[in-house]
Amino acid sequence: MAVRPEPFARSTAISGRALSRRGLLEREGIFSWLMLAPGVLFLLAFVAYPFFYGIWLSLQQRQVSQAGTFVGLANFVTLYHDAVFWQVTGNTFIYVVVTTVLKLTGGLAMALVINQHFRARNLVRAALLLPFIVPTILSTVAWMWIFDPTFSVINWLLVHAGMIREGFSWLGNKTLAMVSIIIVNTWRGIPFYGITLLAGLQTISPDLYEAAAIDGASVGQRFRHVTLPIIKPIVIIVTMFSVIFTFSDFQIVYALTHGGPANATQVFVTYAFDLGMSGGQLGMGAAAALAMLPALALLIVGLTLYLRRE
Amino acid sequence: MSTTRRQFLSTALAGGAAAALTPRRANGATKSLTVVHESSFIKGFDDFFVKTLAPEYEKATGVKVGYEPVSVGSMLTRLTTIVETKSGPEIVATGLNWPHLFDQSLLDVSDIAAEIGKKIGPWHDNIFDAVVVNKKWKALPWGNIGQLEVYRTDWFKEVGVTKFPDTWEDLLTVGRMLKKKGHPFGFEIGHGFGDNHGWMYPLLWSYGGREVDKDGKTVLIDSSETAKAVDFCRKFYQETMIEDVLGWTDVSNNKAFFGEQISCTNNAMSILIVGKRDFPEIAKVTDHGLNPQGPKGRFHLYNPQSHAIASHASDPAAAKAFLRWLYDDKQLSRWLVAGEAYYAPFLHGYDNHQMWNADPRYLPFKESLKTSRLHGWPGPAGAALSESNAKYVLVDMFAKACRGDATKDVIATAAAQLKQIYKAK
Repeated sequence: MAVRPEPFARSTAISGRALSRRGLLEREGIFSWLMLAPGVLFLLAFVAYPFFYGIWLSLQQRQVSQAGTFVGLANFVTLYHDAVFWQVTGNTFIYVVVTTVLKLTGGLAMALVINQHFRARNLVRAALLLPFIVPTILSTVAWMWIFDPTFSVINWLLVHAGMIREGFSWLGNKTLAMVSIIIVNTWRGIPFYGITLLAGLQTISPDLYEAAAIDGASVGQRFRHVTLPIIKPIVIIVTMFSVIFTFSDFQIVYALTHGGPANATQVFVTYAFDLGMSGGQLGMGAAAALAMLPALALLIVGLTLYLRRE
Repeated sequence: MSTTRRQFLSTALAGGAAAALTPRRANGATKSLTVVHESSFIKGFDDFFVKTLAPEYEKATGVKVGYEPVSVGSMLTRLTTIVETKSGPEIVATGLNWPHLFDQSLLDVSDIAAEIGKKIGPWHDNIFDAVVVNKKWKALPWGNIGQLEVYRTDWFKEVGVTKFPDTWEDLLTVGRMLKKKGHPFGFEIGHGFGDNHGWMYPLLWSYGGREVDKDGKTVLIDSSETAKAVDFCRKFYQETMIEDVLGWTDVSNNKAFFGEQISCTNNAMSILIVGKRDFPEIAKVTDHGLNPQGPKGRFHLYNPQSHAIASHASDPAAAKAFLRWLYDDKQLSRWLVAGEAYYAPFLHGYDNHQMWNADPRYLPFKESLKTSRLHGWPGPAGAALSESNAKYVLVDMFAKACRGDATKDVIATAAAQLKQIYKAK
């Protein structure tokens, strides 16, 4: 005769101690929620609440220090008819796409190099992380001097090398201003890609490379058929994070150009800040900030689906 | 082990709950107040408050007064967070048209304004636009941060100019000569917070241009007067300046002036003050000039620095008592002296105040008050004005013209933006 376990045999005991604190904590269901609670509360307070409040704000005519009036999608309609908003949209996409491509390429190259064995490798790895470690605003101030027309080290080098007669106006020219913020964002973002991809590279067994080499695969072929397929999920995840960070990059643009000259480097977040904080139009500012949500959501969903399919 | 962990957790939860449920100590008489200010370029001004005024008030009344400085350019953001969260300092500093923007979160201080006006006034007429909202004083101005022409006297002398040019056209002529000699001008045309509007509004007004009419509904920017101002600005930029000014923010012209890269700019008195402290040789050859005249007169932009009481103040009477004490001549006069005339008071009682005697180069800042107007003048000083400034409508109109866009196109863009902002037809 089969003897059934007695999963509910403790019912008497539980009922006896149901009201005791110790008894409640003994139950895994309750205990696990208690352990999760701080994290969940943190996310609710600092992610979910601001996010949904932002959506609610964007649907209101809400001036600072005044009560809001629900206006539906009117703020979005206003932005739709605002020429500057479309310039901002174009700027943001150029900024995000170009920096992402540069950071991915540069980060992958960095990871491949620092994955090799060479003297002082650990020191080099630490040094390459510096741009990511230094507070953004601090390094951006340093870049302000690098791009300064009088003190620019780049201009000095180019002029003294005889390559140009006069220094460039890095932040005054609309094209160079965009190039400048792209350079700074790329400089700062490459280590994030580099270190993350390095972690991926280190999971690849050397046996795979040996086997490929024995089969006559060239360096390029080994990279294409061994390295890339293995690190592809990491590339996708790191790109996803990077795109999100770049879309919401505020400090570099705000400190270097504040969106100038003539909005040539104005991006969603700086425009939203100007509208909401400087202009006191909190509803409109929230709408401008949320305008990047559809593109981000599409990208995240697309990449996640691709990752799952893979 | 698990028991210990759970015991720890339950103890922690019980402790947290107990702390949260402990009743707060009942409030007694106000023992402290906090004043939030934008950190002053004049260190002595902040120091005087912290080291002299606050201790004196505490000694006299027992109320401790805290001083919270925020970085230059960040006060509007700080003020927004204070009024939105209804917490933080009870006494807040305001500038520009902020009393209008934050009207509903600021208390009426008309009674104190009337007393001050009686004792050391009368108030300058043009200050009412900035701080009186619906006939109620929402802030008490202590001084204006004026924006004037700052120039190198030695380089101007090199081209035979010993007195600052009186008209924009004359300044253009001098600028051409100085640029040829390697001393270009540098007026901010980028997205800063003060040094751009500081000369662009006066330029527009002096050619007869206006953004919007008094009614706040009729957009006036599309006019032949504006076109003349835009055409002049393009010429002024191309023939006297460097390209970089298009991307400048407020620190850039100070840096360029001390880097001896430019011979003239539009700025507050901070260049001279910092020069006296850190670049004495440059300070010796630095002077101020009033904004030049245009065909329709001479104008300046004002930025009135004021104190207001936030409506969340738990004891408004205590906050008012402190402001009443602070704006008494005994205190205010000494504080203004500590400010080295950086703040020009809007009180006629101080027209001949001793602070003006310290250096004749301060005097143009007093003189400029007579022709100073608020951003967006003659339009109303409300939320639309703030939005227009935040969107850099005027700055970008001039900036686009400077980089080569057609006058009619840049004006049309500005007009469309202003019509949307002011909800005009």
